[in-house]
Amino acid sequence: MTKVLAEIRDLRIDVRVTRRLRLRIVDTASLVINKGQLLGLIGESGSGKTMLCRALVGTLNRRGAYIQSGSIDFEGIDLVNASKKDWRSIRGHKIGYIPQSALAGPNPVMRIGAQLAEAVTQRGRKSKDEVRRRSLELLELVQIRRPEVVLKQYPYELSGGMKQRVMIACAIAQNPKLIVADEPTTGLDVTVQAEIMELLSKIRKEFDTSIILVSHDLQLINSICDDIVVMHAGATIEKLPSSKVTSALHPYTHALYDSRIDLVEPRGKLRTIKGQPPSVGKWPTGCRFADRCDFVKDVCRSTDPAPFMQVDDSQWSACIRHKEIYGGAK
Amino acid sequence: MSNYLIEAKSLSVTFNSYGFEVPAVREVDFYLDKREVVGVVGESGSGKSTFARVLAGLQVPTSGEVTFKGENIFRGQQAYPGELRKAVQMVFQDPYSSLNPRMRIINAVTEAVIHHQAASRKDAKEIAHNLLRRMGISATDASKYPNALSGGQRQRASVARALSAQPEVLLADEPTSAIDQSAQSQLLELFAELIASGLSVVLVSHDLGVIRYLCDRVYVMESGLFVESGITKDIFQSPKDSYTQKLIASIPK
Amino acid sequence: MIKQIREYAALPGGFGIIVGVSMFLSISILGFARPLLIPYAPDELIGDGLAAPSWDHPFGLDQLGRDVLSRTLAAVPADIGVAFLGVSIPLFIGTVIGILLAFAKNRVFLSLVGSIIDGINAFPLLIIAIAMVTFLGPGLFNVVIVLALMNWARYARISRTRATIVLRENYVEAARLMGYPRRRIIFKHVTPNVSSETLAYALSDFILVIVIISGLSFLGLGARPPAAEWGSMIADGRVFLGEAWWITVFPGIALCWSAISISLIVEGLSRRDRAN
Repeated sequence: MTKVLAEIRDLRIDVRVTRRLRLRIVDTASLVINKGQLLGLIGESGSGKTMLCRALVGTLNRRGAYIQSGSIDFEGIDLVNASKKDWRSIRGHKIGYIPQSALAGPNPVMRIGAQLAEAVTQRGRKSKDEVRRRSLELLELVQIRRPEVVLKQYPYELSGGMKQRVMIACAIAQNPKLIVADEPTTGLDVTVQAEIMELLSKIRKEFDTSIILVSHDLQLINSICDDIVVMHAGATIEKLPSSKVTSALHPYTHALYDSRIDLVEPRGKLRTIKGQPPSVGKWPTGCRFADRCDFVKDVCRSTDPAPFMQVDDSQWSACIRHKEIYGGAK
Repeated sequence: MSNYLIEAKSLSVTFNSYGFEVPAVREVDFYLDKREVVGVVGESGSGKSTFARVLAGLQVPTSGEVTFKGENIFRGQQAYPGELRKAVQMVFQDPYSSLNPRMRIINAVTEAVIHHQAASRKDAKEIAHNLLRRMGISATDASKYPNALSGGQRQRASVARALSAQPEVLLADEPTSAIDQSAQSQLLELFAELIASGLSVVLVSHDLGVIRYLCDRVYVMESGLFVESGITKDIFQSPKDSYTQKLIASIPK
Repeated sequence: MIKQIREYAALPGGFGIIVGVSMFLSISILGFARPLLIPYAPDELIGDGLAAPSWDHPFGLDQLGRDVLSRTLAAVPADIGVAFLGVSIPLFIGTVIGILLAFAKNRVFLSLVGSIIDGINAFPLLIIAIAMVTFLGPGLFNVVIVLALMNWARYARISRTRATIVLRENYVEAARLMGYPRRRIIFKHVTPNVSSETLAYALSDFILVIVIISGLSFLGLGARPPAAEWGSMIADGRVFLGEAWWITVFPGIALCWSAISISLIVEGLSRRDRAN
């Protein structure tokens, strides 16, 4: 019995800007997520991590984006070629989605109860009592106090943290096997963030749900996730267990880790990653981190595309020189 | 007569919203010494932004007083009258609205230089270019409009504009919250440099990492009150107030 | 030059804007240059009425024997020119009033003026225009007066909303922090950011105003004969539609051409906005 839940292989995503102009925004991304695993996906803005999430939830087309090549396999289902009808039975049921707190949230003109009822009923017929019972159960699961009161409230009456908990409740309503959480705590206070992270851990443990947690905060991902996938300029460039982040096999991962400000003494010299990630549409050939890399050699730019290679059974790296630089996995 | 650069005594700000009184800042005391970097840390709704705006002179307090070098900064509704206005400047959180979208960066900073340093337009432009370059913004980028620059670059341009007044105090309201990780580090490094060359800073943030990195002293704010204050190292290592402890405990390890 | 145009056309919305601008410029230039281009005066009685289009008179002759091409082009200053006035005057008045309102503090004053603005805006412009022109009497000049008196309110509403937002933006606060005098803040910081929206509205409004001018003239309330104006030409030609379609159709095409050209520009601009 395989423990793999979903596998993305060599995914390429393009977006149609105008009738003639197409931009590649993901090239190439691969990742594997196992059952019950908490996988962190980290990258700067423009790295393609949000698009990858949309591909997993089937909402690419809304922005004019589409999968150009590659495969996404979820429990044997091919998500790349899934029809709208297929997605209706997958989204919400098998794969749940928690949006970024600042950008989307509960529908402002619907009461929380109505919103939850939608998530609970999806494609099934349930009696009013059943819906209410399940909604209250969900609100308690996400640790909202006085759920009966909250059911009748409108989103504007709730704090950011509570709204996000409601979104989590909607996401887990149908007991999905996989939850994609796209920067769920960005913009929330740090104490609220800590609570939401605990909640996600709890959900993972209790329901054996796999969670992909997307963030730009390495500290956060490191502290809670089992494994980390790092993205840069549209490609997945490393995958490693979070315990091994200090012995990463890609200069970018190291640079990300080293640039943490809690590692530096007050007003000491910060290790910044020089330059900016290359902007979409202007990606150089070969390794896209080359211009910012301390270890760059000519071969880095001439090997195109930079292959995502398996180093051992838990670590992957896209750095073709990782053996020379780091001497292999530890 | 106050010895401090900036001092606030029993400062309160209460807003009147549709008949409801909302106390944003409740009788707080605060001081900033010369060449000090003081942080105000709190979560959303704590009142820290309102507090920063009072110090900047953008918000008139309901009661209490704020002094700059011993003199009250408010004369009626007007704050920092005359030449005093240059002494305290502010950088805001949102890089997208901090710069006039219809003005090129170089013009926005030149405008500030002309106003504060009474230079001719030509000289002012050169001073502005130099200032921007010190902030890491090239001449090519400087001639662009704000929406052509990244969030981090826009923040640095805002700092350049603030510095053109040659202020003694820089107030920074969540300067790193809305920008990328790498841009954050670059901005923080910039602040560290400015501090090393003599600028006093009041940093308002919810990000404990940034506070720890930059500040000598910290005030912890919750619901309009300063629940704890002290030297940064002490606050982080042995927080006494329960709210402070909760904050420190929420930092991901 | 051609290369630059090609590049611009490839941008989102660019093609529409270029086509729209070309269409608009072509008809405007032709219209204002008519005296130099067309040998026949618009009110010159040339020959037998209702003559079909021919080499000499590509648009034919109308019922009084006047050259339809000459008249169609002669209508440009009336339709497009007056529309320009009918938009720019309310644009200016409305924008200024809106900005002033954003600065006002007196609640009573604000409610009062706000209600007046809302009240005026509640009426469709065309209906109000008809009503007022009936009152004031026909004539293009009166149409402009009506538009100035009534249309400013729509601009004021947009301007005021936008100005209130702009006044809260960080860059205006920064300007205050810098100690800039209020005058400078208003002119260099607030106004440009407000007028970008009112100008955008003005562009769409232009189409409506052209239609109102022609519409009023069609009803006999606008341009008075023998003035050349598309709406009145269409009205005049109505009875002859069967035998002499050219009297109505060509002014009609000119009207559509003008409206479509602006529409294309507006659509192109919004596409460009969306792509950003």
